[in-house]
Amino acid sequence: MTSRSLIRTALTVLLLAPAAFAQTVTVMGSTALGPLVKQAAEDYMKSHPGVQIAVSGGGSMTGLNQVVSGGCTIGISDVYATPDQDKSGIRNYNVVIEPFTLIAHPGVGVTSLNPQQAEDIFTGKVTNWKEVGGKDQKVVRVNRPTSSGTRAVQQMTVLHGKAFSNNQLIQDSSGAVANTVATTQGAVSFIELDFLNRSNGRFAGIAYNGASCTKADVSSGKYPLFSFGHAYTHPGKTDPKVLKVAEDFLAYMLSPKFQDTTVLKAGYMPVAYAKSLKTKL
Amino acid sequence: MPHAPDTLLDLPSSTTQTVPEGPALEAASREPAFRHSRAQRLADRWAHLVFLACGLLVVALIGGILYFLAARGVGAFIPLAGNTDKVLTLREVFLSTNWDPNAGKFGILPFIAGSLTVTGLALLIAAPTGILASIFIAKIAPNWMKTLMRQVMDLLVGIPSVVYGIFGLMVVLPWVSGKWLSDSPAAGFAVSAAILAVMIVPTIVSLATDAFESLPLSLDEGSQALGSTRWQAIWHVLIPAARARLLTATVLGLGRAIGEAMAIQMVIGNNPQWIALMRQSTDQTPVLRLLFTPAATLTTELVQELPNTAAGSTWNNVLFAMGLLLYLMTMLIILATRRLSQRREA
Repeated sequence: MTSRSLIRTALTVLLLAPAAFAQTVTVMGSTALGPLVKQAAEDYMKSHPGVQIAVSGGGSMTGLNQVVSGGCTIGISDVYATPDQDKSGIRNYNVVIEPFTLIAHPGVGVTSLNPQQAEDIFTGKVTNWKEVGGKDQKVVRVNRPTSSGTRAVQQMTVLHGKAFSNNQLIQDSSGAVANTVATTQGAVSFIELDFLNRSNGRFAGIAYNGASCTKADVSSGKYPLFSFGHAYTHPGKTDPKVLKVAEDFLAYMLSPKFQDTTVLKAGYMPVAYAKSLKTKL
Repeated sequence: MPHAPDTLLDLPSSTTQTVPEGPALEAASREPAFRHSRAQRLADRWAHLVFLACGLLVVALIGGILYFLAARGVGAFIPLAGNTDKVLTLREVFLSTNWDPNAGKFGILPFIAGSLTVTGLALLIAAPTGILASIFIAKIAPNWMKTLMRQVMDLLVGIPSVVYGIFGLMVVLPWVSGKWLSDSPAAGFAVSAAILAVMIVPTIVSLATDAFESLPLSLDEGSQALGSTRWQAIWHVLIPAARARLLTATVLGLGRAIGEAMAIQMVIGNNPQWIALMRQSTDQTPVLRLLFTPAATLTTELVQELPNTAAGSTWNNVLFAMGLLLYLMTMLIILATRRLSQRREA
C-alpha cells in the first residue's frame, strides 16, 4: 500500500540523514558573537565545499551547556566556562576581543571618569553626578541581569570584583539598555562599543582612565574594559572527523586574514591586540 | 449583532436532546439502520483513533510540562542526580527577600510579592474600567457604536504584548519621568500596572459585555417600568444579576495578567532587590516609593535569567521552582474560574 511505502521512505531518510550530513559542524551560543561567527562560516564554506557550518543562538550559557553535553560541536560564549564545565574536558579558544565602553545620558555633564570614580558610581558610593564633576542630577544605574556575561565583565573590570549597588534598573538586552540610557535623565551604563558607534548621539560615551577604546590603549593595558569572545570544543564527545573540520574552521577565524578585516569591521578587535597582556578576563 | 455563544463558559444548564439509554442504546449500536461500506467503517475507526490521540496528546502535554517543571524545580530542595550545586531549604527560598545568586542567596519573596502587586494594581484599574465600558457597550451605546467598540476590543486582544512593552518603554516611561518625577526613572509598578491594565481590559470587556447581553431584557424593562432611572436599573438590578459572570471575567483577566512577561519586563525595571531598596530610600513618600521603585516579578525574572544559567545549578533549579509556582498559581486561577461559572449555573 502507498502509506506503507511512504513510511518506509520516511524511515530511510531519517536513518540516512545523519550519515549524509556527517561533515556538519554545529555552532551554538552567544547571540552577540553569533553574527561574526556566521560571517566566518559563510566565508569558510565558500572555500571548503562539502563542509556545512550551522550557527544558531541561545545565549552564552546555552552554548556552554550544549558543548559540554555534546549537543553542538562548537559552543560560543562571552564568558569563560565555569570550573565544573571546564572539568568535562572542553577546550577554549579566545577568538576575538569584545570591547566595551561606559555610556551615559548626554545631559549628565561628565565625559571622563577615572577608575575609582567609575567604581564608586556603580557600587553606589556616588549618587549624584555633581560628586564626579557633573550636573546636580541623580545617578540612575542601568545594568544587565545577574546572569549576563556583560555584567560579569563589568563587575570584573569596572568594579574590580565588588558588588553592584542594589539601586539600579535592569534591562534584558544591550539594545534595551541603550534605549533606557538614551531616554532616562542621569542614566549610566556599560555596553558593547559597537552600540556607541551606532548611537547617533542619543547617548554619550565616557572615557575611562583617560583613554578610549583604541588599539594602542588596549595593547598597552591602559583601557581594560574588554573581554574575550570564546569558542569551546569538546574533543572527547565529538566525532574526530567533525572535530578536525571544527578546529580548521577556528584556525581560519584566528588567521590574520579574518582577524584584521572582518573582525574589525564587525566592531570587535583582533585577539593579537591583547597578546602582551597577561590578564585573565 | 448576533450573540456568539461562549462555549467555554456558557455550558447549557440542561440538555434538551433525548439520548437513548440502556438496552435501547445497545440494540441501536448492534443493528444499524443501514450498512456502511468496509472502507467507510475503516476510515471511521481510524478517525476515532486520530481524535483520541489528539485528545491524549493535549493531556500528555499538560502533564508533561508539569512533570518537567516539577522534576527540575524540586532539584533546588532535594539532592538529585543531575544536580551540580548545593541544596536549599524551602524556608530560605520562599520566605526570604534576599535574592543574590552569586552569594548563594535565593529568596524569591520579592518576585512573588512583585507579581501579586503588579497584578493587583492592574486589576484595580482594569476591572472597574472594563465593567463600566461593557455596560456602555451592552446597554447604552447605539447599535453602530456597539459593533465598532466590539471590533476595537477584539483588535486590542490581538496586539502582541511586546508592542505594548515597546510603547511603554519608548513613550510612557520618558513621559512620566519627565513630567512628574523630574529626575527619577519612572520604571516600577505604576507604569507596569497601567500597561498591564490596558492589556487585560479587552478581555474583561468582551466577557462582561456577554454577561450583560445575556441577561433577560425583562430585568431592565421591569425595573424601569417600576420607575427606576437608568442608573438605578444598572446599579441595583443589572450588575447584581450579572455578578457571578463579572467575577469570572475579572478572574480571567487576572489569569492573563499574572502570566504576562514581555511587556512588563520592559518597563518594570527588573530589580530583584526592590524590597530592600524600598526600605532604604527615604526621598519619597511610601506610596510613591512603592509605585516607582524598580521592581521584579516571577515572569520577568524567568525571562531574563533562565537562558543564561547553567542547567543543574541551584540557580537554574530555583528558577524552575519559580516556573512551577507560576504554573500552579495559573492552574488555581483557572480552577477558580470553573468553580465560579459552575456556581452561576446552579
